[in-house]
Amino acid sequence: MENQTLSRRNFLKSSAVTGTVFSLGFYWPNDAKSAKIIQATEADNFGVEMNSWVHIDTSGKVTIFDHRAEMGQGSYQAVPQIVAEELEVNLSEINVVFAPGDSKKYGNQVTGGSSTVRGSYKNLLKLSATAREMLIQAAATQWGVPKMECYAEGGHVMHKPSGKRKHYGELVEAASKLVAPKDVVLKKRSDYKLIGKPLRRLDTPLKTNGTAVFGLDKHIPGMLYAAVERNPRLRGKVKSFDDTGARKIVGVKNVFKVKMGVFNTYREGVAVVADSTWAAIQGKKALKVEWDDSGFEHLDTEEIYKRQAEALQTQEGLLFKTQGEPSEIIAKAAKKIDVIYETPYQYHAAMEPLNCIAHYQDDKLEIWGPIQAPEWVQDYISKEMSIPREKVIVNMTFLGGGFGRKAFMDYPHEAAVISKEIKAPVQVVWTREDDATQGPFRPGITYRCEGVISNGEIDAFKVRMAGQNNDHWRGGKKDVANRSTSEGFLKPYMDSIKNLAIMDVPFETPIPTMWWRSVYASTNGFAYESFLDELALEAGKDPLDFRRAYLKEERLQKLIDKIQEVSGWKDRKKGDGYGVAITECFASTVAQVVKVSRAPAGGVKIDKVWAVMDCGWYVNPDTIKAQIEGSVVMALGAATIHQVKFKDGMAVDNNFSTYQMPRITDIPPIEIYIMDNDADAGGVGEPGLPPFAPALTNAVFDLTGKRIRTLPFSLQAV
Amino acid sequence: MKRDRKTGKRKLFSVQAATVLAMLLFIVAVGASAFRKDDAPVKEIRLGVMNRDSIESVKAFETVYKVLMSPRCMNCHPAGDIPLQGDDSHLHTMGPKRGKDGKGVYAMKCLNCHQETNTPGLHTPPGNSHWHLPPAAMKMVFQGKSAHELAKQLVDKKKNGNKDIRKLITHADDGLVLGAWNPGEGRTLPPVSHAEFKKAWLTWIQKGAYAPKL
Amino acid sequence: MAKIILNINSKKYPLEADPQMPLLWAIRDLAGLKGTKYGCGVAQCGACVVHLDGEAVRSCVTKVSRAVGKKVVTIEGLSETNSHPVQKAWQDIDVPQCGYCHSGQIMSAAVLLREKPDPTDQDIDDAMAGNICRCGTYLRIRKAIHMAAEVQKKAVKG
Repeated sequence: MENQTLSRRNFLKSSAVTGTVFSLGFYWPNDAKSAKIIQATEADNFGVEMNSWVHIDTSGKVTIFDHRAEMGQGSYQAVPQIVAEELEVNLSEINVVFAPGDSKKYGNQVTGGSSTVRGSYKNLLKLSATAREMLIQAAATQWGVPKMECYAEGGHVMHKPSGKRKHYGELVEAASKLVAPKDVVLKKRSDYKLIGKPLRRLDTPLKTNGTAVFGLDKHIPGMLYAAVERNPRLRGKVKSFDDTGARKIVGVKNVFKVKMGVFNTYREGVAVVADSTWAAIQGKKALKVEWDDSGFEHLDTEEIYKRQAEALQTQEGLLFKTQGEPSEIIAKAAKKIDVIYETPYQYHAAMEPLNCIAHYQDDKLEIWGPIQAPEWVQDYISKEMSIPREKVIVNMTFLGGGFGRKAFMDYPHEAAVISKEIKAPVQVVWTREDDATQGPFRPGITYRCEGVISNGEIDAFKVRMAGQNNDHWRGGKKDVANRSTSEGFLKPYMDSIKNLAIMDVPFETPIPTMWWRSVYASTNGFAYESFLDELALEAGKDPLDFRRAYLKEERLQKLIDKIQEVSGWKDRKKGDGYGVAITECFASTVAQVVKVSRAPAGGVKIDKVWAVMDCGWYVNPDTIKAQIEGSVVMALGAATIHQVKFKDGMAVDNNFSTYQMPRITDIPPIEIYIMDNDADAGGVGEPGLPPFAPALTNAVFDLTGKRIRTLPFSLQAV
Repeated sequence: MKRDRKTGKRKLFSVQAATVLAMLLFIVAVGASAFRKDDAPVKEIRLGVMNRDSIESVKAFETVYKVLMSPRCMNCHPAGDIPLQGDDSHLHTMGPKRGKDGKGVYAMKCLNCHQETNTPGLHTPPGNSHWHLPPAAMKMVFQGKSAHELAKQLVDKKKNGNKDIRKLITHADDGLVLGAWNPGEGRTLPPVSHAEFKKAWLTWIQKGAYAPKL
Repeated sequence: MAKIILNINSKKYPLEADPQMPLLWAIRDLAGLKGTKYGCGVAQCGACVVHLDGEAVRSCVTKVSRAVGKKVVTIEGLSETNSHPVQKAWQDIDVPQCGYCHSGQIMSAAVLLREKPDPTDQDIDDAMAGNICRCGTYLRIRKAIHMAAEVQKKAVKG
């Protein structure tokens, strides 16, 4: 398999050389939720250029445009695995090309919200089955036999009675002239040959010999390199700069001030353009920049949490959801639980630091980079630089991790601004220090949770969060509750707990915040699932039985049965060090049990993690397991190892030397199970993260009686 | 030459020993040379005997001890098999192991990251072309050692890398030892200058390498 | 600037480079071999590991001058056909997710297997703790190294 990041235009050109191509794609009418399948000959009738999602050429080679970024989560595997199933081709015959950014052709291309499979699998199945039926029809017509006597397998159409067979390549021309059938019968799940199987990833071989092209690896002829010294406080400006030292560095070509948009704000810095990455970085180090940081607060971490805690004592906050009379019951109760949980700011820390190539020309802007949201990049740059949207061409590469950070538009915009200034293609490389300190970060949230237990049941449940609202950075309304106030919290609780209130106490700082893997579920999950544990203790109930009583849905009962069974929950003794948590986000629910014990050298150690995922329909169980393993490791880091600390309005830790990461020595065994049911597909990349921290701290409580309410905490220091 | 001079001094110790108040023994030092009998280039000194040189020697060792227990020296003389890092002497973050020869193991050899010279910047690997820990067979642990224990260890050829007096003296100018005074950005220097350290080191040794009582 | 000849993957690369330039950037920007990655620049993450006379050096802090007269092997040169036992095991288990750190992971693991053909879990910890993986593929790395050891053993016997 080749690793290609060809633009579609190039692809069509090259395929034209080989002759006829049978192409099927989708058309997304502006007002329609689901896509319409069209073929090349129909495209003109719609007045749109077809996306040509699946191509088959006369040699039988199948090319698929992967409409989503591949950042480790497995779209490069999932999309072809879905297509190959209904198209009846061998996976090894499929070539995958990253689709360039074009939402008219490919629909929503934003790789976020764990949506790659769940957002497109039904369309992909239908498209592939349609192509298959047309190929079968073409063969049947050529043979002069009834279509029902024919079937497809391994890239061939077979005629059952005669044993005749034709390769797809031979049928391409005829199939492309047929009218696509409106309705096709999709396979039953039990008939799947590929979907649901732990097939090897198509991108793995590219990632074991250095041939996978990540953003930083892309090279454009004539390309220069740039590094930018940015104001360490987002809202600050460049007052002046001295570039004498920078210009002395051999290879440095140009130094100038730049301004790039970060959502609705602008960041300023000084760019150093050079003929190698190293020279650009050296030039950046040699700069002397004076910043203007007036007009906004420079906060320390301690001050942020002090204010959040104060706000939670003095403000009710904006209403997200309420029912019954929780506040009244709490006010009258003889005994109530009233506790504060704190979760830290977090940095995405993708292994590939941010980078982007831009080539600004008179009539267009072309971009290459590790980008999660090409269409947003198009929208944003088009608006910011007054370039027609279709003239902003966004080409995709592999992403060396994203975790939400590469869905922002600031770094492509910055590259575009620099390319425009120097009138040449340029790759802007962020150093690790830039990447670690600039943000946006996951916001650090403080929660106040109040509850009353009567007769072993929850009589009142009131939770308030105070922390930055990501939407505010995008210009969201400030007088409405954070739409993610309950993210992570299982929805059935919001019916089964009769007296309940979920509130958002608005809080702002000049520190930029935005999505981080699993978004607010990662912080909400810790607070709400820890609090449920505290309530269960107060009620004198087993933590899992306690939850079960409020979660009557069959799917959840089965999930609880499974986690109970695999973790040996019922066989454990109190104090053995077991903790459980269950969270839901992006349409999937995950339960985790963590087992801890006393470490010989002091503190506690994690012995094992069990995870059960209910994500409904799924493609590749091994990819799911990998995503959960990774989610647990990422959650482990955020819960026990690192946090972004601020001093004087700036992030303190700027590299892995002080922003420590989980390493191979920190990882417990993780045992993963996937529920099988007929529900629609849910997300896979993120839902495994939120339950880990509360399951861990609940386990620590079980072992030691010590309730951890502030993250991160040190396992060694417990 | 040095050895002769030392021997002379050693004789001097004995002559003056009786003039020292016994009280001081408890407060200042044990009057035993830190050199083991079989390795010492000098005659055995009687236990409990105190003299002016032993006081000077022990006094000099105070400075030596302060330096050796500073992070710049102690971090590579850890109690375990993982070196220490930083002014707070935490375990080296990625946990490189000593290995048989003290130069690390497998993909985690000292010189894989530690270059000939310091890498510029904060929290970057300090450099030395011989960067290593003491070997597994002779760990020369500083961490957790009392002044008494460390002094005894330093002159014990079975625990000091088979260094006799001459080698001990020249060790003060060893490249890796000197490296402590060029530790790279952001790291505090040992508590005294290298010149002061060397003076104290030589005084300690030349006055008989007496071990403090504690 | 100085004229420097690097021997990378048994091929000579005459380069014009600042002798202070880290080997990483010489390999990537000057020799054009992009498989070796930049992750931290301060020898913390191991994404830049290459073999320098067989040792797993962090090329981001290794001056290009140190590599002169020595043999540099990058991920592209570990095997001709993506078939080093470590590469095979990585493929069999689907170790990588985003894949960015795995050039370095594989180069580190290859040194481990050369020096300790039958590594224990402790050996794996000791060898691999210098390589960070943000996707959290550590459990698979461990499993794949054990598998690679088996593959290597069979190859030796065969």
